[in-house]
Amino acid sequence: MTDDDVLRALLQSALPAERRAPARDLWPGVVRRLDAPIRWSPVDISLAAIVAVALLLFPEGVWLMAFHL
Amino acid sequence: MAIEPEADLLGRFVQGDREAFETLFRQFEAEVFRWIFWIVRDEGTAEDAVVDAFWRAYRGRARFDPSRSFGAWMRRIATNSARDHLRKARRAEAWAHDPDALPGPAAPDPGLRDAIAGAFRTLPPKLHVVAMLALVEGRPHAEIAEALGVPVGTVKSRVFRATRALRAELDRAGIRP
Repeated sequence: MTDDDVLRALLQSALPAERRAPARDLWPGVVRRLDAPIRWSPVDISLAAIVAVALLLFPEGVWLMAFHL
Repeated sequence: MAIEPEADLLGRFVQGDREAFETLFRQFEAEVFRWIFWIVRDEGTAEDAVVDAFWRAYRGRARFDPSRSFGAWMRRIATNSARDHLRKARRAEAWAHDPDALPGPAAPDPGLRDAIAGAFRTLPPKLHVVAMLALVEGRPHAEIAEALGVPVGTVKSRVFRATRALRAELDRAGIRP
């Protein structure tokens, strides 16, 4: 038995193999998640605001942005 | 592994048919849960990650090629979801101080289990994932590589690094496997 086999056996003995199934029906949670409106994160809102301000200050930047889209 | 669904069902899923999606969910739910559980080792976290994984699958259904394996595609999404939940749990230190966070039959030595849980916490999530799947669950490297979307060589290298890191951590805790 190599050192790696010993380590493996130790890990497996401490974290026994599981054959579990979810304790509850998860489908309603999936449906709720699918039907929930998409929320914008503060980072998305901040980025959109920065781009909007930048375009107001430098309107010629719209071509640069269009190039990257 | 669940039997691959029929092409017609997969086609309807890609079109956005909710009934087809529910059929796929029922067919793959247990397998996805088990895969995620192997990584996160916490029932509640695994359930959240399953919901998240299927949500991601539905949102990204247009990118699924019905001629490919749905199970393999789902496993990749599940792995990403599990890894993200692991990161979140790390940030919240959800299982850092929770003795019940590694559920299942009690280990022969609770001190050993805590030491191993502590050693796993020190691993970066990408090493944690391969260590759980390869070292603890004994999954084949090729299967892990497919689920992570990386070459088998990368998995081998991560297993090697994870083994070295775990050994060092256990050594620090006074356990010499």
